[in-house]
Amino acid sequence: MSRRVEQPEVNLEFPPGAADPPEWVSRRDFLTLLGAGAAMAAGACMRRPDKPILPYVEAPADVVPGMPLYYATAMPLDGYATGVLVRSNTGRPTKIEGNPDHPASLGASGALEQASLLELYDPHRAEAMRVGRRRATWDAFAAAFAPAALSRRVGARGAGLRVLMPPTTSPLTASLLGRLGEAYPDARTHFFAPLASSARIAAARTSLGAALVPQYDFRAADVVVALDADILATGPFHLRYAREWADRRRASPSAQLHVAEPTPSPTGTLAARRLGATWSAVAAIATALVDAVHRDARSTGRVSGTTDASGGALTPDARAWVAAVAADLAAHAGHSIVVCGERQPSDVHVLTNALNDALGNVGTTVWYTPPAVLNDGGPDHDLSALATELRTGGVDTLVILDGNPCYGAPSDIELSRVVGAVHNTVYLGAYDDETARVSTWHLPAAHYLESWGDARAYDGTTSVIQPLIAPLHGGRTADEVLAVLAGQPNNSTHDLLRDAWNSARGQGAPTTESDWSEALRRGVVAGSAFARATPAVRGDAVAQARATVAARGVAREQIEIGFVPSHAVHDGRFADNGWLQELPDPVTKLTWDNAALMAPAMASRLGVATNDVVKLQVGDRALDTPVLVVPGHADGAVALAMGYGRQGGEAVARGVGVNANALRTSQAPHVAPSAAVSRTGRSHELALAQTHWAIEGRGSSIVGEDGEAQRSTASSVQPRKRRPLTLYEPKPPSRDGFGADQWAMVIDLDVCTGCSACVVACQAENNIPVVGKDGVMKSREMHWLRIDRYIDGPPDDPRFETQPMLCQHCEKAPCEYVCPVNATVHSEDGLNEMVYNRCVGTRFCSNNCPYKVRRFNWFDYNGEIAETERMAKNPEVTIRARGVMEKCTFCVQRIRDAQMASRLAGDPATGPVVTACQQSCPTQAIVFGSLTDPESEVSRQFGDPRSFSALDELGTVPRVRYLARRREADSSDSSGGRAR
Amino acid sequence: MHITCEVAALFSARATTIARGVIIAGLTLIVLIPAMAMGWVRTPWARGEHHTVVQPIAFDHRIHVTGLRIDCRYCHADAERTASAGLPSTKKCVACHSQTWMSTSVMAPIRRSLETGRPIAWARVTQLPDFVYFDHAIHVGRGVGCETCHGRVDRMATAEQVVPLTMSWCLDCHRNPGPRLRPLTEITTMGYTHSPSDTSGVRLVGQGDRIRRLTDCTACHR
Repeated sequence: MSRRVEQPEVNLEFPPGAADPPEWVSRRDFLTLLGAGAAMAAGACMRRPDKPILPYVEAPADVVPGMPLYYATAMPLDGYATGVLVRSNTGRPTKIEGNPDHPASLGASGALEQASLLELYDPHRAEAMRVGRRRATWDAFAAAFAPAALSRRVGARGAGLRVLMPPTTSPLTASLLGRLGEAYPDARTHFFAPLASSARIAAARTSLGAALVPQYDFRAADVVVALDADILATGPFHLRYAREWADRRRASPSAQLHVAEPTPSPTGTLAARRLGATWSAVAAIATALVDAVHRDARSTGRVSGTTDASGGALTPDARAWVAAVAADLAAHAGHSIVVCGERQPSDVHVLTNALNDALGNVGTTVWYTPPAVLNDGGPDHDLSALATELRTGGVDTLVILDGNPCYGAPSDIELSRVVGAVHNTVYLGAYDDETARVSTWHLPAAHYLESWGDARAYDGTTSVIQPLIAPLHGGRTADEVLAVLAGQPNNSTHDLLRDAWNSARGQGAPTTESDWSEALRRGVVAGSAFARATPAVRGDAVAQARATVAARGVAREQIEIGFVPSHAVHDGRFADNGWLQELPDPVTKLTWDNAALMAPAMASRLGVATNDVVKLQVGDRALDTPVLVVPGHADGAVALAMGYGRQGGEAVARGVGVNANALRTSQAPHVAPSAAVSRTGRSHELALAQTHWAIEGRGSSIVGEDGEAQRSTASSVQPRKRRPLTLYEPKPPSRDGFGADQWAMVIDLDVCTGCSACVVACQAENNIPVVGKDGVMKSREMHWLRIDRYIDGPPDDPRFETQPMLCQHCEKAPCEYVCPVNATVHSEDGLNEMVYNRCVGTRFCSNNCPYKVRRFNWFDYNGEIAETERMAKNPEVTIRARGVMEKCTFCVQRIRDAQMASRLAGDPATGPVVTACQQSCPTQAIVFGSLTDPESEVSRQFGDPRSFSALDELGTVPRVRYLARRREADSSDSSGGRAR
Repeated sequence: MHITCEVAALFSARATTIARGVIIAGLTLIVLIPAMAMGWVRTPWARGEHHTVVQPIAFDHRIHVTGLRIDCRYCHADAERTASAGLPSTKKCVACHSQTWMSTSVMAPIRRSLETGRPIAWARVTQLPDFVYFDHAIHVGRGVGCETCHGRVDRMATAEQVVPLTMSWCLDCHRNPGPRLRPLTEITTMGYTHSPSDTSGVRLVGQGDRIRRLTDCTACHR
């Protein structure tokens, strides 16, 4: 009471507000929390919870808990199969590797194949069948869509039934579609995929007289010319092409790759001569090449310097490129390959066929086979035809078998609206996506790791797809749905498959039980590839194509927008995959977004820079897109990756990037020829994994090349090598010196495409978490292996450098000196070990690492993942908690397993150890092994004259060495285009 | 000038003694409590040794090992092949027990497992942290007897942990395995005595085995 009286005096003595309670946490609250925290911390130190051991009731044969099993299967992408071997740990698929026996894999696996594992465990997959808003059962679906019930709706001949599906190569699907045709003669099947193009087959029809696709043998090619074709990193056979090209390049360093492309691709970054040319300019270049090569064929083996007839449309740079490339082609006639990309119109494919024909490549490096894709290119089977029918009515039931066409369809078709108006729509899809939302029935689709099936590779080789796990969410396959429609509802896909294959006896399908087992075991059906054809090119078709290209001309003043597949999410199919969303683009290092890629000159003309939002306009369609300025991009061209801007129910995909399909039309689905770009004044921050591309004159130290100086010297590089200053003579690694094995790695930059398959392989093998866009913007991505990209030199014609960067396992590791708790130490066999259970998270090691390869767990990334995602984790690698540093271990779990296996077998030498990155590498650029074995490949490459250590001058003595890229010396005359 | 203060004493005469006592007691506690905690974690009880683990079935190793002389590897069949030794499947139990004891109440969980197809949930006796990658195969294959880590199982009515399973205990052997190894024929022997003249363990180490790498962190942590 008295205090209240004294209040004025208190106010005199203390500052205002001193008597008020604290706004945030009071002293008492603080002490309460402190006590509670201490009690909880003490409680957490109790004996850990007891988890029971659950043995089998009846142990299955072959399964030994702790010993993984590998199964051969195949991943279909755009219809084409890529053979994979999948590791299964007591029934959980945990890692995908390439199948050496499969023609599309040759033992390698790409980023998409690797990451498809996470798709299986995606917690956002559709979990229940539904009709309207109600739950449904498979039996209800089978009853409603059995011929007896369905024919009442669609007519006895099925006039009101349409099926829409992505292009397929599956013989089983083909036979089921055949049966569907028997049941409903008037029903029709349409094929659609956003990236599919019929140009190649249309070109073969006109110029070769049959529906054929080209096949290549890069191992026999000394000169490869890629016209807007990312042969080494995109497409159904890119793993094989990359391997073959790398083999050729290793065997014959003079083998050259020349690329003309609008937007820099992994293939382009490896080119000896690279030209940035818009899509229409690439067509003109093809014409100019045909002219130059024809002239050369008429003359006596010499090619003149210029190409006059068609060269008028070309820039001087392009003319120089054409002259140099034509000369190179002519000098290697019969041992060269010209490849044209999917986005080019069929005329350019005709010209490409003509080039290969004129050069005498057909029969040696190039041949043709029938297309593996069913019904490809038929005009009455495409999406526009279907949309027209749907609009006019008469279609009662539309069955959509996967592919999410309502997202991927060109915007002028307005497929969502059209499909929404159909009475009875069935969608078989893995996600509650754009198509599911407008469909009456939604059936969860089974993942390929959950289903039986078959598919052909690009060359026709058939593979059996076998499941590794029962469907997690009761998913069904397209074949099962087709079987219901065709009146065979009770057959499992396995039975359907055996039936189809039995009836295809003698047509390359396995006939006996042992053939079937062998096909399952190896993952391919032996001898099922298509026969080769070497038809001649029709001259009239070439003349016609030349005239068409010339008439179309090169769009000089107009801006072209090309819609390119994303290296990460492809056409949107992988949009909900965190591994892929966070995978930096091989060239631009962009994550969690797509952007309008454009040349520096074009950006400065428009007055925009990276992160500025521009409005892209094609006709009356507009799209606001952030800009990413990329040196080496063709001026006048804008590349926009597809697969972003998703609006479905997938939580990861939703709202990432912009939807390129909004600008696509069915007339110009791949390249919009005349577009407008304007500033909006807004900006959108892109998450780039590497923001500074210039190498700042340190090329020799980082990538083993001297840049400009290199161009005027010999073609083989001689990187500087310095011995670190030391008082002690370094001991040569030997068996008796300090251990049986001394692990080391060599990465050949001459064949590294930067495709990033290794990054995802590492992520899958080593349980590496995803941090999200915010994390990437704070440079908190967790990849143990990243691909550094340097773009140096003139912005219109830069040099690209690619360098996979991982823990260098330095013999004198700077990180080890500074760890206060000895959590990072060196092992006797040369590994820089990271001991998670000792780490207290000071991050000193990361600060002292000159390669910046150490990654810190800022949050409990692994603690927040869904139960299904936990199933993807590799049980042989510790799950790291918050506050712990981590980094590449050289896949120590594989090393230790191999050591134990060889010791148990009584073999003193450790068997081959293959790291996850090495296993996935399509070009076999990564070699791993022990230096104590003088015969090992890694020992041989360690002594290669091209080998160098990154940042050698620091004296860290890395156990990872790189082989410097071989670049051709600049030719003396400048007319040949600049060689790089 | 003389000023007289007549204020009542704030502190009693014993105040100083009490204050000293409190300070000394506080300091002692500050030292004693961590000391006791550090002492506690070094006792067998803190490490879970000799802790009775309640199993769903009163399985008696004495009967099976000493009485019936069944080899360890009959039930723990994967010990020589892979990381975990494994427990027998229900069917394996039944293989013998269909002839005997099957109808007793002790076997009820096995009958239930057979009927329902659900596994028997055995309680874990020997538990290592998740960041330790122990491999049975390499230990059994290089002369570490079962007894070395699991004790005299042949004398246990209920299996219990008898060794500390601390990292220092592992390292005692990893630093000098030779004297603790035994011939491969004696792996499952219970009560094996290492005779000073027996050099087979040392020979195992010497067999080009590069066993010195056993103290690398990544030998167990990865």
